Amino acid sequence: MVRLLSVLVSVFLLLSLLSGCWSRRELDELGIAVGIGVDKAANGYRVTTQVVSPGEIAAARPSGNRTPVTVYETTGSTIFEAIRKITTKSSREIYLAHLRVLVIGEALAKEGIHKALDHFSRDHEVRTDYFVIVAKGATASDVLKVLTPIEKIPANYLYLALDSSQKLWAPTATITLDELITDITSEGKNPALSAVRVIGKQISQTQKNVESIEPPGFLKYSGLAVFRKDKLIGWLNEKESKGYSYITNNVESTVGAIACPGGGKIAVEVIKSKTKIKGKVRNGKPNIDIVVKMEENVGEVECEIDMTKRETISELEYAAKLRVEKIIKNTIKKVQSDLKVDIFGFGEAIHRADPAAWKTLKQNWDEQFAQLDFNVNASVKIRRIGTVANSFHKEGVE
Amino acid sequence: MANNVKISLRQFTVLIMFYTIGTTILVIPAPLAADAGQHAWIAAIVGWLLGLLVVVLYVSLGKLFPQMTFIAYIEHTFGKWLGKPISLFFIFFSFVTSSIVLYYIGNFMTTQIMPETPIGAFVILFAGIVLMGLRLGLEVLARTAEILFPWFLLLFTTLTLFLIPEIEIQKIRPIIEIGFKPVIRAALVFAGTASLPMVVFLMIYPMSLNEKKGAGKAFYTGTLIGGIFIIIITFLSVSILGAELSAKNMYPSYALSKKINVGNFIQRVEILMAGLWFLTIFFKATFYAYGFISGIAQVFGCKDYRPFVIPCGMIMIAFSLVVYPDVVYMSDFESTVYIPFVISAGLLLPLFVLITGLIRKRMMNNQGVESDDE
Repeated sequence: MVRLLSVLVSVFLLLSLLSGCWSRRELDELGIAVGIGVDKAANGYRVTTQVVSPGEIAAARPSGNRTPVTVYETTGSTIFEAIRKITTKSSREIYLAHLRVLVIGEALAKEGIHKALDHFSRDHEVRTDYFVIVAKGATASDVLKVLTPIEKIPANYLYLALDSSQKLWAPTATITLDELITDITSEGKNPALSAVRVIGKQISQTQKNVESIEPPGFLKYSGLAVFRKDKLIGWLNEKESKGYSYITNNVESTVGAIACPGGGKIAVEVIKSKTKIKGKVRNGKPNIDIVVKMEENVGEVECEIDMTKRETISELEYAAKLRVEKIIKNTIKKVQSDLKVDIFGFGEAIHRADPAAWKTLKQNWDEQFAQLDFNVNASVKIRRIGTVANSFHKEGVE
Repeated sequence: MANNVKISLRQFTVLIMFYTIGTTILVIPAPLAADAGQHAWIAAIVGWLLGLLVVVLYVSLGKLFPQMTFIAYIEHTFGKWLGKPISLFFIFFSFVTSSIVLYYIGNFMTTQIMPETPIGAFVILFAGIVLMGLRLGLEVLARTAEILFPWFLLLFTTLTLFLIPEIEIQKIRPIIEIGFKPVIRAALVFAGTASLPMVVFLMIYPMSLNEKKGAGKAFYTGTLIGGIFIIIITFLSVSILGAELSAKNMYPSYALSKKINVGNFIQRVEILMAGLWFLTIFFKATFYAYGFISGIAQVFGCKDYRPFVIPCGMIMIAFSLVVYPDVVYMSDFESTVYIPFVISAGLLLPLFVLITGLIRKRMMNNQGVESDDE
């Protein structure tokens, strides 16, 4: 009897565990936020949240006349308040674990972003694998309101476009929140974030935008936003941004044109690139050595050149080396003269090389950086020239 | 008292290892990085070596009472009236720390994973297993440790292997800028979390081991292996998250496992990795509780500690809910009060007992020699 009773009691106790956990979240009660934008508001922040509309994404046959995502815009004196306020507009609780991008409005970035970032580093739901980007010439809210072709979820578009442009073209930076925080707090490096622009703002917010074969409104990455600590102070154009990627060893692959000896152009594809930065302090003056090792393939030949000769290849290698060195030099010079802020982590390199000297140098590192000497040394190996040897140009011209 | 309980040397080694890793694995990179910056892993190595010194003390203390528990020996050495208050201090230490460990696991769950669930739910569930283990006895606990060891190893190796691609060696440089003081301070924190609490093992060492020979070696091996795991975690944390983020994170190891991303395919596995510290924290909580409960039983002269498990467990649970009113209190307590507390219980108390024990032994020997002469 006692035995039976104890079995029954334990069965009931176990049953109570089956009902699931306390903090359960049903999928159909969650609004999955994929993009968040933060802008300055009169007092506090304007937070724009892009939430997936599951009916349009998951259904085999979407209704077609509803947008795949919904954007909620709320204001609050703090970010957390603004996010919670969404509940007054939305039927679902906002769930942040699948965030892909955090967009920061230009106006807010100019004022400083560290206050706005705290919530994202403190909240347990937010992960660290989304990208942080800056809206250039626009508000974050404009960026998140653009409907994009191919990718139904615009935040996904922002994430993937940034990821692939970083991998294949290199003038962008895929910075996640913890990298950004490390850069802001570091004494020897300042952050740089990818900048995104909105083109055709009016039309892009409606379904009409994705109905035409060439959407009139779209989002476009354009270079980098440069920060001093947490304040936006300037921009780099595409070429300079590429230089930045070279210096910070973030080039996976890119394409560049070099001039042929006899006129015309050749396009080479970078297939491997590795950059090492070495710091040195000589007579109290900081000095930076940048060594780039690259492997390239020839991808396009638009001139008459004999690709079968070994001399040609070494000539091209030399030209490619000069090209990369020039890109890097121009980038550093531009940053030294215009922006005067160390975004490359040269300070960290000096710190690693000479910790004692760094203690005095870091006092006025921005000025030290503006006049520091650097050497760039690239070495390029051209490995392959594609599927044909000589171009058909020769015959075609005749 | 269950004098006939015997565990093998290998089981003892694994227990020591689990206990050393305990809560340390979850939190240690943060205080180490806060003190020693990018040298946190060096501090971990120094703390690891300091821990061995602590074990030297425990092993030599163990030689004095091969057939007695720590509490019994204290009474044997100091007599009833002085011995009992000293034992009570030891019991108080085990009691407070066991509740703290329960709070830890609850706090981790409510901070990181299920913020809406009350902490009591986790504490009661976790304490349930701990108390069950204690009721079943030392032998069962030892076998559990032996069975769980490969699983722990599997999880840990997976974590480490998946994280290797994320390592950035630059983050731990420059190495030469090392400061002596911060590293020592961090090493003390390491010893305070990982080594000194091992004092509760004096309740089973060496009495409950089936072999006395090689028992000391088992103690050292367990500490060494456990320390290696902690050093690896600290190294990963500093070289992947960087010193700044390691120091700022409340649970750096959890933040680390969030970083796992193999080919955009194996990712978001952090909750599996949390299994690592559930295992180790279980043993830490269990042996603190063992020190507390079996200590109480012995002070009151009971033969078996088992009847005490449930009532004492209830007190532990209740106390764990109020032991820290908030997390800021927790980190403040840990960096101020806890260190002298653990040093008194884990270093000064055994040292005091050791010295007194040695003096008494010599006196008794001398008396013995004199009486032989007479």
